[in-house]
Amino acid sequence: MKKTFLINDIVWITFALLVCLGGLKLGFGTFQQPHAGFMPFLSGLFLGLLALVDLISGLLGQWKTEFGEKNIWGGVSWAKLIWTLAVLFAYTAFFTTLGFFIGTILLLLFLFRLMERRPWWIVFMASALTTALTYLGFKVGLDSQLPRGFLGL
Amino acid sequence: MDLLNYLMMGFSVALQPMNLFYCFVGVLIGTLVGVLPGLGPVAAMSLLLPATFHTTPVASIIMLSGIYYGAMYGGSTTSILVNIPGEAASVMTCLDGYQMARQGRAGPALGISAFGSFIAGSIGIVGLMLIAPPLVDFALRFGPAEYFSLMVLGLMVLTFLTSASMVRALMMAAFGLIVGTMGLDNISGLARFTFNIPELLDGVGLVPLVMGLFGISEVLLNIELKIKQEVFTTKVKGLLPTLEDWARSIWAILRGTLIGFFLGILPGGGAVISSFVSYAIEKRVSKHPEDFGKGAIEGVAAPESANNSAAQGAFIPLLTLGIPSNVVMAMLLGALIIHGVTPGPLLLSQHPELFWGVVASMYMGNAMLLALNLPLIGIWVQLLKVPYPILFPIIILFCLIGSYSINNSSTDVAIMLIFGVIGYLMKKLSLEAAPMVLAFVLGPMLETALRQALIKSRGSFSIFFTRPISATCILIAIALMVVPLLPWFRRRPGATLKQEETP
Repeated sequence: MKKTFLINDIVWITFALLVCLGGLKLGFGTFQQPHAGFMPFLSGLFLGLLALVDLISGLLGQWKTEFGEKNIWGGVSWAKLIWTLAVLFAYTAFFTTLGFFIGTILLLLFLFRLMERRPWWIVFMASALTTALTYLGFKVGLDSQLPRGFLGL
Repeated sequence: MDLLNYLMMGFSVALQPMNLFYCFVGVLIGTLVGVLPGLGPVAAMSLLLPATFHTTPVASIIMLSGIYYGAMYGGSTTSILVNIPGEAASVMTCLDGYQMARQGRAGPALGISAFGSFIAGSIGIVGLMLIAPPLVDFALRFGPAEYFSLMVLGLMVLTFLTSASMVRALMMAAFGLIVGTMGLDNISGLARFTFNIPELLDGVGLVPLVMGLFGISEVLLNIELKIKQEVFTTKVKGLLPTLEDWARSIWAILRGTLIGFFLGILPGGGAVISSFVSYAIEKRVSKHPEDFGKGAIEGVAAPESANNSAAQGAFIPLLTLGIPSNVVMAMLLGALIIHGVTPGPLLLSQHPELFWGVVASMYMGNAMLLALNLPLIGIWVQLLKVPYPILFPIIILFCLIGSYSINNSSTDVAIMLIFGVIGYLMKKLSLEAAPMVLAFVLGPMLETALRQALIKSRGSFSIFFTRPISATCILIAIALMVVPLLPWFRRRPGATLKQEETP
């Protein structure tokens, strides 16, 4: 628990440092004539200082007072989470290539099976129906432009 | 008399068939979104924002506003029947509403919630009508220093009230400011943190960001949890509260209305904070505080009234100053800008039909909501029985397609997923998303105001302390930062409420 929050604050401090450096590279300017890097630098500095305060107060016992010994990662199904994210990113990457219909049916096949093991034919029917209704809603109802993919569907 | 004339003009706009239709669609979707846990009004508004591109600005804002205050009505249904808040502003309703349902009094709980919301919403609209026009004259005295200070105050109020840890909330606000700087700098035209990605030249979109932080992250959290949906199958009857219920609730409704309205006006305030504060105050003033948490009807009436009147009050800073007071108003700001309308002190004079049309539509929207929420309770109960394993893929799909359809760009979808992961981690680490989003939206305006003020003052920060309005805002903001450090104020309302009232 303590380790998690420690890593959290170190990440924020590192991020803040990078932002400050980015801001300086863009050009801080002066207080009379602030440049493009003015706000990023100040925001990064603010974030870094706050993260440092949180880190110090946490190490002095604030994390324990606030969160106790709660294990925030307890019960997390890492496999489900990682698979879900992998499929979502893959969907995003191949969405325009596969097209709306094929991409979405494949996505829903996975998502419907993820939470409950139902027969494949039920999952396929639910995926196809949901895809069709979504198409009606977005394409016909909201006039959204959905990709056709390599099959032209 | 002028007020009446403007209101009549507003009704003539709002009663146009197309605007009536959009009002109905907005409140219906809002109620639906409020009923279903997992998809809040912000995510719903972001999904439907592209749909408004083909309509007029008036119709667009009427519909999006309807989603917001409609969600306030709908959120109470799940809170009372399932003990799961449909959306964040209905968390407090769970405490007593669910207990009332367990005692066989779901009907009066739902009834008082709907009637209280209607009364509060109506009073809130009157307040909006009365306060907004004079505030516009006051707002014309605002310069860059005043805008900067007010936005800083808004961020400080939000961080003070939302989170038990102000340091962590401010960290998120700083993060939001940083994300808000991505894209082309307004003044110099330099690209900032775009990583050579052309789509990022316009910055990170509000819709993918919000959908990721609130929609996708919620789904990811729910994948690992098993939400026990215990919906009361007993027929809900007797929706009309008894005279005794009214006697116990009326003052709670009126107090909740006032608290909600004024907290809603404050930049950084909003429906969530209002419901928490209203519940806490109602418990403090009650002659029977021991009843709270065990089915006290005042415990339902107060927060539900507060969140509805806050929803109306929140429109005031947006429409008069052009400053969104919360995340939902930030979405509306985005919608107005997309439609070429610049909210601010000149909105009332340049687009009176929009302001008064929206105000008049709220009257009708509130009446529609009363009609939707009471007789259609049976339908909402059926919807609640849809298993989450079926619901969550649909929510994900809507988010994916919704974010893609804004610019027909997969980059927006990728941004949404990235912020979904960030939002999930933030929730696990108890880092609040609300300050981050508000800072993200206010950031560009804050930066412009700061740079303009410094140019005007030739680099001197004293400009923020020598102008009275700016000085007042800055001093209050500093006080809010200092107060938590004082030992006797170490436990703030947000922290106190979270620790005492967690359902």
